[in-house]
Amino acid sequence: MKTILKYSAALLAMAFALAPIYWLITISLKTEIDQFASPPVWFTFTPTLRHYAGIFAHDAFGHYFLNSLIVSTCSTLIALALGLPAAYGLARFRWPGDWSRGISFWILSNRMLPPIVTIIPMFLMLREIHLLNSLAGLILVDVGLNLPFVVWMMRGFVEDLPREIEEAALLDGESRLGVLLLIVLPLVRPGLAATAVFCLIVAWNEFLFALILSQTQSAMTLPVGIASHVTQYEIQWGAMSAAGVVAILPVLIFASAAQRYFVRGLSLGAIK
Amino acid sequence: MSLRVENITKRFGARDALRGVTLETRDGEFVVLLGPSGCGKSTLLRIIAGLEEPDQGVVRLHDRDITQLDPSRRDVAMVFQGYALYPHMTVAQNIGYPLRVRRRPSSEISAEVEKVAARLGLAHLLRNQPKQLSGGERQRVALARAIIRRPQAFLMDEPLSNLDSRLRIDMRAELKHLQHELAVVTLYVTHDQVEAMTLASRIAILKDGLLQQYATPPEIYHRPANLFVAGFVGSPAMNLLPGTAESGIFHRAGLSIELPALTGARRDLTLGIRPEDVDFSMAEQPGWTPARVWVTEDLGNETLIRLSFDEAFVTLRAPAGTRAGIDSLAWFRIRPERVHWFDSQTTEAIR
Amino acid sequence: MTRRLPPGLVWVAPALLVLAALSIYPLLYLIKVSLSDARGFTFEHYTRLFQDRLFTVAAGQTLFYALAALTLEFFLGLALALLVDSLAHGRALVRVSLLAPMLLPPVVAAVIWRLIYNPEFGVLNGMLRQLGFHTANLTWTSGRTSAMLSVILVDVWQWTPFLFLLLTAGLQSIPSEPLEAARVDGAGYWRTLRDVVLPLLKPTILLALLLRAMDLLRIFDQIFILTQGGPGSATETASLYIYRTAFRFSNFGYAAAMSFVGLVITTLAARGLMRLMKIS
Repeated sequence: MKTILKYSAALLAMAFALAPIYWLITISLKTEIDQFASPPVWFTFTPTLRHYAGIFAHDAFGHYFLNSLIVSTCSTLIALALGLPAAYGLARFRWPGDWSRGISFWILSNRMLPPIVTIIPMFLMLREIHLLNSLAGLILVDVGLNLPFVVWMMRGFVEDLPREIEEAALLDGESRLGVLLLIVLPLVRPGLAATAVFCLIVAWNEFLFALILSQTQSAMTLPVGIASHVTQYEIQWGAMSAAGVVAILPVLIFASAAQRYFVRGLSLGAIK
Repeated sequence: MSLRVENITKRFGARDALRGVTLETRDGEFVVLLGPSGCGKSTLLRIIAGLEEPDQGVVRLHDRDITQLDPSRRDVAMVFQGYALYPHMTVAQNIGYPLRVRRRPSSEISAEVEKVAARLGLAHLLRNQPKQLSGGERQRVALARAIIRRPQAFLMDEPLSNLDSRLRIDMRAELKHLQHELAVVTLYVTHDQVEAMTLASRIAILKDGLLQQYATPPEIYHRPANLFVAGFVGSPAMNLLPGTAESGIFHRAGLSIELPALTGARRDLTLGIRPEDVDFSMAEQPGWTPARVWVTEDLGNETLIRLSFDEAFVTLRAPAGTRAGIDSLAWFRIRPERVHWFDSQTTEAIR
Repeated sequence: MTRRLPPGLVWVAPALLVLAALSIYPLLYLIKVSLSDARGFTFEHYTRLFQDRLFTVAAGQTLFYALAALTLEFFLGLALALLVDSLAHGRALVRVSLLAPMLLPPVVAAVIWRLIYNPEFGVLNGMLRQLGFHTANLTWTSGRTSAMLSVILVDVWQWTPFLFLLLTAGLQSIPSEPLEAARVDGAGYWRTLRDVVLPLLKPTILLALLLRAMDLLRIFDQIFILTQGGPGSATETASLYIYRTAFRFSNFGYAAAMSFVGLVITTLAARGLMRLMKIS
């Protein structure tokens, strides 16, 4: 009896979590008549791809999609390239006194910096060096967002590796850089993958900076593109839902590729 | 009769952990479940505790069927291998927890905790946290927590195996003394046969989920029921020499022993002889078997000598100071009245 | 005496420099902007701040939003973590499904719920009508009080999974032996939960609360899409007010002052919470 209740509760929770997403998908595939039908239609409708065709043809969503892709992947790669060596440096070298704790704390506190604090200066600064409304500016900002997280996560993963393997390589004559690239990197691949996925998702979903720093159509990312079509009073259901689905898909793909690392990755990073 | 398990069977996936094990104990007994890892002893203990459910079989405590009961209702106490102390509670809170759960008044709880702590030498540690204690101290806290509620049975899962060897020997003696005082039936799991021999009033030897023998230590030592028990208990292990018996004589190339009691068709028998029942000499003796010295180990109080003969080895105990060079010629004699006989096919002992 | 630089510094330096450029420098720049206007150095922005009713209201609303959302998300997340942990089968499937809302861009989540909340055509009122309720007065995001609650609901929908995830990780890191010992000692499920599980979960709980609280105080995306801070300023949080001041009215100085004050407050709050964590 208790088991039935438990599973019912779990199913209820799952339904509540997934139903809105399902609803979005159905709206994007429905004709206007079905969209505005009352009572609402859940399953029995003939689907149409008109809205998807529309946003790519007329509303430049293909362009926004590409921008989001570029910004996300570039900022993730750069964050990893800077963060992994930093994590390695913090994990493997001896630091005087409390330096390593201090540095880690400072890096972590960056994550706590509300974007709203840096956004005004960033806007003004980027305006001065003419990087406003450019993808490069956004990439820079997203690196700043993700770097603390990369260092925090990767440090835990590096510390988990047994030192002996690296020490053996050093004795054999390998340089530190070689050790990092040839030995540590392959071994932390799972953790690196999980971290990369998190970074991609964060950069992909990022809105506030993108909103402020890329207001021209050529530089807009997907979230901003969606927002720009939403006014306070009116919303184009078909176009918006299709855009929403397009915005969600890569995230779901990224996430399902790395889902078994989620709990492990977070538990290692968070509990330390 | 206090604790009894009948026909317990447990399967984990494709593996049989326990196969129809039946066992009964008497009040106040110290029963040891002994066997190599994977033999099912821990599983059996956990089934008795209620942490696992058997696929078949019944567990009875004082004639009460407790097989389906939740562990919290069985009135048994358990000492875990890793001690399982509550990391966030003080020693006093750890020890008192079973009483707190039963909603005893806190004055009673603190009085009992102090009594038990004093008895186990923990009185000065009551305010400490588990992480500040040594292994031996933690183990005593686990014990204190078990005895405070005066359960009907104690279950112990290799409680000494995480201690270093000196401490283990000391704790062994303390444990035996304590159990005698408390006079509660105790079921103790270990893979260490020395522990089993020293602690138990009766030993139940398990292998691959089957009960091999259930008897007192002397009986297990002197009358092992099969080849496995014979080779498992005793250190150095019993020498086991397979051969054939025919027309009343046992043959193993280089060795012949008369067996007037055994007549009949030709059989494969295994001869078992303990190292202390083998005589040794550097000089040739009539009727003795020649061999080469493989290695000697001088332990101070005695010397162990390993001899090789005809593709077999024999280990024997010699007096302290016996010297023999490696590869030198020597003679040994098996005392016929001390021989154990086993059927090589069934591995059972032949009386 | 010359101090030798730590050998690891060369590895950490690039990351530190980038972060410094992207956080320390802007912070200093922010302070500078907050202390100047068209005519030069001035304290005016800060003095104005302490008299600005709109800012106090926005701050209060932010606090309300954060507390309400945090409480709901925490208890729901904990309940779900315990529930899913106790399931015998299908744990992985349930977890993955429950995590989905958290992965979406907050903007898209807001779009979804705008569609759901639409009084005439949204599925929420549609279902209520099917059940026989009158929905004429249920305007969700347009009503003064209901707007705040509607927005909080969206946050709960999207971010309960985050707490669920962290608490699940915490639960999995609790060793199982003390739990078994508690069972044998006589504690039932709720007793074990109270006496053993929750105390051992405390560090995780505090960390989860800290992380989520930080994000909640700077909430922006969903509200921007759902209500733009309206109706009126019923759902205008601090971030939205700062955004409007800076980018609609181009009053960077004042917005910078507000941002700085907000930073100080949240840092103090974070320090306080972290001290609580260290104690446990």
